[in-house]
Amino acid sequence: MGVFDILKGKFVDPTYAGVHAGGDVITTTVDAVVKWGRKSSIWPMPFGTACCAIEFMALTGSHYDLARFGAEVLRFSPRQADLMFVAGTIPDKLGPVLKTIYDQMPEPKWVISMGVCASSGGFYRSYHVMQGIDELIPVDVYVPGCPPSPEGLVAAVMKIQEKIQTSKQAREPQGAHRVGANGEGMYDRRTRRAAWAADDAERRAAGQQPRGVLTDLKPEPEIDHGAHHG
Amino acid sequence: MASATLPAALSPALLEQPAVRVLSEALGENLLAATDFRGEIAITVERKAWYKAVSLLRDHPELEFKLFLDLCGVDFFDREDQPERFAVVLHLYSVSKKRHVRLRTPVPESDPKVQTIIPLFKGANWFEREAWDMYGIVFDGHPNLIRLLTHDAFVGHPLRKDYPQGQRHVLKEPRKWLLQVPPESEHMIVNLGPSHPAMHGCFRVQTLLDGEIVRDAEAEIGYMHRNFEKMAEARTYWQVIPYTDRLNYCSSFMNGHGWALAVEKLLGVQAPARAEAVRVILSEFSRIMDHFVCISTNVVDLGAITPFFVVFRGREKIYELLESCCGARLTVSYVRIGGLAQDVPDDFVPRCRETLEFVMDAFKQMDELLTRNIIFNNRFRDIGVLSKEDALSYGWAGPCLRGSGVETDVRRDAPYSGYDQYDFDVPVGTTGDCYDRYLVRIEEIRQSARIIRQALDKLPAGPVIVDDRKVALPPKSEVYGNIESLMNHFKLVYDGILPPAGEVYGATEGANGELGYYIVSDGGKHPYRLKVRPPCYNNYQAYPEMLKGGQIADAIAIIGGLNVIAGELDR
Ligand code: SF4
Repeated sequence: MGVFDILKGKFVDPTYAGVHAGGDVITTTVDAVVKWGRKSSIWPMPFGTACCAIEFMALTGSHYDLARFGAEVLRFSPRQADLMFVAGTIPDKLGPVLKTIYDQMPEPKWVISMGVCASSGGFYRSYHVMQGIDELIPVDVYVPGCPPSPEGLVAAVMKIQEKIQTSKQAREPQGAHRVGANGEGMYDRRTRRAAWAADDAERRAAGQQPRGVLTDLKPEPEIDHGAHHG
Repeated sequence: MASATLPAALSPALLEQPAVRVLSEALGENLLAATDFRGEIAITVERKAWYKAVSLLRDHPELEFKLFLDLCGVDFFDREDQPERFAVVLHLYSVSKKRHVRLRTPVPESDPKVQTIIPLFKGANWFEREAWDMYGIVFDGHPNLIRLLTHDAFVGHPLRKDYPQGQRHVLKEPRKWLLQVPPESEHMIVNLGPSHPAMHGCFRVQTLLDGEIVRDAEAEIGYMHRNFEKMAEARTYWQVIPYTDRLNYCSSFMNGHGWALAVEKLLGVQAPARAEAVRVILSEFSRIMDHFVCISTNVVDLGAITPFFVVFRGREKIYELLESCCGARLTVSYVRIGGLAQDVPDDFVPRCRETLEFVMDAFKQMDELLTRNIIFNNRFRDIGVLSKEDALSYGWAGPCLRGSGVETDVRRDAPYSGYDQYDFDVPVGTTGDCYDRYLVRIEEIRQSARIIRQALDKLPAGPVIVDDRKVALPPKSEVYGNIESLMNHFKLVYDGILPPAGEVYGATEGANGELGYYIVSDGGKHPYRLKVRPPCYNNYQAYPEMLKGGQIADAIAIIGGLNVIAGELDR
């Protein structure tokens, strides 16, 4: 929707009496105008960690020019941003950081998961890499690719704009409408994770190891680690 | 010298090697073995002689292995031929003698302790912490043996062979304080990172401030630890290639180049001349690109944003060149063991020339914007000085090491891929400050352009991959046309490349400096152990030390010039 759509009254609330009054008055809903303003001035915050961040630079650079979508004001502080690009692998060590940064962003906020690493762990299926950031935070748009092409990212930003335009976000509790939010069945890794944690706790209470920990291989020898040992 | 005390396996040829001779004279029977495999000297010593052996290698006038390269653990879990379960492996380089050496010591599982060598090499600090983190090998006398790459809630030592690859542990509370405010002082702690506007990527450093002056600093890494080395142990040799792209992703082609060379060294094959020339050309383009990113993002942090836009246009051109060769912009995966994935496009040479012209034009603009710029000079000169001795002791590499006045470059000192056919100079700094590192990079860009021009002038024709059915896949037309090639194709895909058992350390000059791959092969299709010697790991290790006594604002100027790349730092 552009300003002309508003002018043409496309988003005019027909129940409002003044609509048909004629004259120099434009009437529309606050919602429509706010959404239009929001989607045309996204302030992204790049949470860039790895190779994808390099490709993100290309997106903001002169060639692909994110400014065309009104989204060129990159903010490196989450408190001033409403769209987070998670660009790159998120190892477990970074998990709490990601969560903190996300929580610091003011509502309403959106998240683009850029690249297969952020979306699913990518080809790092290993002991220290989070298998998709939706284990921790809700995601609005996933962009496949390793790294995704800048064209793919442009498409993702347009998807976000579409989402801003059509969502009822302001009226719903935080994160309720997103994939990965509680109650979305098979996509909901957060629920799955809670289930896993409960399972681990149960097994520990029964004196067992959590599932997946191999115990019958060579046990680690007891070492006197000394005082300075972490 | 009492030759009776020598291990029987030491042949006279080996004894001609100064390192072996000196160590065997000094250590006697504590020298367990020495080997020469693919021209690399590896010496195994007893654990109790570890410290002595290292100090001899460093200080003996005939050896002078003063540049610290790498230290790592190896887990020989199921290898019957090894005396103990673990081994600690050290790589050193002698700048004056232009030689590498590998020193190993077996470490038993029941008592995994080795003496620390931090008093000899400052750079050993993080490497020993990493070896403890990954293998549980304890370094006696280490001041701060805590988790480095993995997080604090981690249980176990992940690179041990019996640690399951996918076993994760959830971290809820990150490590909050790296430093303590001394009691009764009015100092303040400022935390930079891991997500901070001035840090490119996930680095973290905590500083103790007295006003604007940094009194103490401590860095933490591991925020991008994505287990390349563990993953590689479950991949075949060519499946590792895409992973190498993601080490230093600003110049991904060079990592693959280094990896291919290391495996080729292990296999004893040589890529065809055309492939080598193309590798050189693309590597040098990557180097230019890497230096562009380093310099331009460095000055963006200081407030100069124009150079960024200027050189990124040039970088985009190089991306297009790479894309025309292999279809990918950033993560190219263009090399293969024994050559290249496919031949370059027909218009490669004119295209390269055109790209080079464009790139050098952007370079010229950047040079004019910065080199004599008074603000830039004031911010960069005499900031972050590291002496030559410290640089060697920390094991610095590449432009940073040369900036500190050490004249060494793998391309010149141990030429690979035909670098000996090209004329180029190795720039060296004098004071070792940020400005010197900048100047070295600027000059290297010019030298890279020189190399590219020479290589384009005499780009040979011919195949781009070896004609060896045990290393390279046969051409598709043959696979479809005759049964023998089909079988070869099948066998190679199914079995992978099977190198001989042995250990090699393949070094190339990456954009950040000496990028080494230490491969332990047991003859199987997976690398038994793969250790990357990441150049910026050593560079970053000295960073907290360089901050002390300086202004907090300089911290930002310094880190950009070190060009720390998270993917390479934490692997
Ligand atoms: S998706 Fe690929 S390019 Fe992106 S961070 Fe992961 S490995 Fe790097």
